[in-house]
Amino acid sequence: MPERSVDHPFRDDCPSEYRLFRRRLILGTGAATALAALPGAVVAVVDGAGGSEAGKFMELSALLIDHRLDRDIGARLAAAMSHANAGIEQDIDALLDIAKKKNARIVEDFFPDVPEGRLRDTALAIISAWYSGVVSETQGSEVFAFELALMYQPTRDVMTIPSYAISGPNGWNPSAPPLSDMPEF
Amino acid sequence: MADIQNADVIIVGTGTVGCTIAELALDAGLSVLMLEAGPRVERWQIVENFRNLPPALKANWDAPYPPKPWAPHLETYTDESAAEYLQLEGPDALAYRQGYVRYAGGATWHWAGICWRLTPDDMRLKSLYGVGRDWVFGYDTLEPYYTRAEYTLGVSGPSDPALQWPPIRSKPYPMERLPFGPGEQRFTEAAARVGLQNLPAAQARNSGVSYHDRPPCCGNNNCFPVCPIGAKYDAATTLTKIEAKGGTIRANAVVYRVETGAKNTIQAVHYFDPDKQSHRVTGRIFVIACNGIETPKLLLLSRDEKNPNGVANSSDQVGRNMMDQPKISTQVVMAEPLWTGVGPVQSSSIMNTSQGDFRGVHAGAMIRMENAARSRVGGLAALQKGLVGKALDREIRRLAACTGTFTIEHELLPMAHNRLTLSSKKDWLGLNKPNIYYDVGDYVRRSATSYSVPLLKKLMVELGVTESQIATQFAHSDHIMGGCIMGRDPGDSVVDADCRAHDHDNLFLPGGGAMTTGGSGNSTLTMVALAIKAADAIVGQLGKAARA
Repeated sequence: MPERSVDHPFRDDCPSEYRLFRRRLILGTGAATALAALPGAVVAVVDGAGGSEAGKFMELSALLIDHRLDRDIGARLAAAMSHANAGIEQDIDALLDIAKKKNARIVEDFFPDVPEGRLRDTALAIISAWYSGVVSETQGSEVFAFELALMYQPTRDVMTIPSYAISGPNGWNPSAPPLSDMPEF
Repeated sequence: MADIQNADVIIVGTGTVGCTIAELALDAGLSVLMLEAGPRVERWQIVENFRNLPPALKANWDAPYPPKPWAPHLETYTDESAAEYLQLEGPDALAYRQGYVRYAGGATWHWAGICWRLTPDDMRLKSLYGVGRDWVFGYDTLEPYYTRAEYTLGVSGPSDPALQWPPIRSKPYPMERLPFGPGEQRFTEAAARVGLQNLPAAQARNSGVSYHDRPPCCGNNNCFPVCPIGAKYDAATTLTKIEAKGGTIRANAVVYRVETGAKNTIQAVHYFDPDKQSHRVTGRIFVIACNGIETPKLLLLSRDEKNPNGVANSSDQVGRNMMDQPKISTQVVMAEPLWTGVGPVQSSSIMNTSQGDFRGVHAGAMIRMENAARSRVGGLAALQKGLVGKALDREIRRLAACTGTFTIEHELLPMAHNRLTLSSKKDWLGLNKPNIYYDVGDYVRRSATSYSVPLLKKLMVELGVTESQIATQFAHSDHIMGGCIMGRDPGDSVVDADCRAHDHDNLFLPGGGAMTTGGSGNSTLTMVALAIKAADAIVGQLGKAARA
């Protein structure tokens, strides 16, 4: 029989443990684990535990990134970034203030007004997290998004997201759309 | 000794060579016990491991395959982790950081699936060019085994002889070639304009149809590090078939000693389990097929009174002649899109650059475009620029579409000083780690300087390359060959034409280690062809014994 060891619960042979590990990390309490099965409930849990920080994170994310953003991923990124960066809540408030003063709808409307230094770094870190799907690149870091990570979307009309097929048996060919045809996402 | 096990054929290693022999031996009515050093896991577990890697680590072939303490293999996270198991020295030490996994199924878990044959000339380097060695037999002898290997693995390839390599075949490929994506088409057209022919690769990937209970390739573009759907052949797809035929597979069984007996035949192998308990397994025929590094290491570990240099090593050639195809990688930026990431991660190569009378002076080489999707590479690079909004999206698309990696793989000669020995450093079980001295030699260096890189530069101009970074160091191709070299003379070779050890009538050492030369292409199909030839000899040998 194939082995099912628990030596590396977050790395290889034990997927049920692995998933539990991730949910506990996101939600913080065992009691909340059951809620993780409900899509969309995660934001409410985080909101309930810590005020409206996740809501503000999503509000700022929507201003920084003019694409459809998944709320579950956002809630998890908010929790992880808050955990890793003390004071990020103040940065988010400050960035929202700048955007409001400019009546910004998209990042181009207010990003030039974001000062170099901590605020700009925080804004770029939030963008990077949504695009790369991680808040850290080190070995063992949690991945919050892969197939929905935004950096795979500008080429999704042509390039396969590795391991996820976009055609079928011998269903590809040499044609490709112009570089200027940016997909909607 | 906790228990004693016995079978007609004991096979150490569950990679493509061991599994091919196991199936053929079982088909012939022989009992088979396979011993695998590493764990046995399901495909989806490896896929999940891959998908849950941070993007920068997704390029590390080994990251989805964490080794068990008792079966270490190369881990490439950092230079420190990479130096942990393989002990490397010599002028090109880092070019022997060979990737293989010690898991049931072996290194075909993460191979690209490319199935080039050697050419007749590749097997006669000494006669034709005065370098290297000649094989014991010619291409005509190997051809039927190549054909059987292609039908065993399920190889797709072009039916048009003008696109075959080499176009000397007794049967068509079992499946027609896979289509090209835009990158391969553009690369092929540019190559043609400078007089080079980029061929659709023969590849162990199901093309348009199911084959051997595996689905057709759907272009998941993840052959390396794992095909998520099993459309690409890997030996793991045969493990359940072996069991269905009555074979036994024992995972987490690290063979550390080959025991000789009367008349210097092999009596038994000994293995450690994860509790460091030793077990002894007896049989009639023993096959050591646990990779081009682990096989010579095990033979050297097994020295005894009758075999003071190690088992099968009266010639002192075990562990020598270590080969690979020294690789030069080039990163390029182009003015126009190339568009990789459509179809398999590799699907074509320029092969005719591997042949020619120049081989008396320098190596031939194969040139290839890597077809892995570059959205991750482009995405991370664009993010580092601090771009936002539409500028960020445009830059990701440009850097993914208009960049590429081109690869040159050189033919390496068998040279005795490229040698695997036992390190004084020990692994978790207390076994010596392998130590390898590696120098690609002037034959390869001359090729890179005067032949292969200049050819690639010509092609890069034709492709409209605006920036390029050509590696200044050789890298590994993970095609481990030569450490149990085949030859006619027991004084300067380890195995005979059937991969049988000259020194031990019932010991077979098939696989890359037995290859006399390696050519410029991937070694796997030749390894499987040799495995089939060895299996025929094993079945014949045991049949003869039964009749006697």
